[in-house]
Amino acid sequence: MKFVLNYIHKETWSPYVAGILLGLVGIAAVWISNSLLGASGAFENLAGLIGKAVAPDLFDNMYFNFIMPPGITTGVILLVGVFFGGMIGAATSGTLKWGKKDALNSDDQWKRIFGTQTWKRWGLAFIGAILLEYAAGIAGGCTSGLAISGGMLLAPAAFLFIAGMFASGIITALAIYRKKY
Amino acid sequence: MTNFITALVLGVFFGFALNKAGLTKYNKIVNVFRFTDMAVLQFMMTALVVAMSGLFALRGMGLVTFPSIPATYVVGNIIGGLIFGVGMALTGF
Repeated sequence: MKFVLNYIHKETWSPYVAGILLGLVGIAAVWISNSLLGASGAFENLAGLIGKAVAPDLFDNMYFNFIMPPGITTGVILLVGVFFGGMIGAATSGTLKWGKKDALNSDDQWKRIFGTQTWKRWGLAFIGAILLEYAAGIAGGCTSGLAISGGMLLAPAAFLFIAGMFASGIITALAIYRKKY
Repeated sequence: MTNFITALVLGVFFGFALNKAGLTKYNKIVNVFRFTDMAVLQFMMTALVVAMSGLFALRGMGLVTFPSIPATYVVGNIIGGLIFGVGMALTGF
């Protein structure tokens, strides 16, 4: 028992152990609620909800009417759970940086490559996140919703997506890091 | 309502697993593209193998029916993946 508790307090688990946990969660999602885990779809549901309220004409198209209907879906609730789950994870390992000084930009590797400015971190994160969400919209899911959830049902789309993701990820990392690669 | 509670609980475990694997950190995500830290792949593939074998075993026993799998449209999936990789390497999310 003490071993388990100690392990929970460790900051970084062996990826294999954490992977087994995620696999079990994936099974539970299908078994209990007959749904798949996913993150990006929830943002689209929320965006649709806000968009329909602010600019109904602009959002009155096929995508938001049929493919990603707006509303508070289970995906949105799942995302809230992910947020708190991540916080619990950080709290148990004592790395929760809520309100701490370097909480907004704390990654040393990032600072080495891009400099120490916080606005840069947040600006790039914003631009990158637009790319992520847009791409997830095209492909039909993100890393969790398509690659893992689709992959565990052996959906061909998932493996095409993983291939594309790694190909361009490696090229982008090469372009950013250059000699430091 | 039970739907929402299940989703919340699943989400908590999902987020917990992601955090403990270190996938909430920029360096973990980017270093997999630099081949210096393969934690992301190890984590993803372990999850895939566990879930895959579990689900197909359960289906074999007739305990679960699969939800509809994500649609396959080759060009869209690949282009989406390509753009996604750029965003992923940029932000580290």
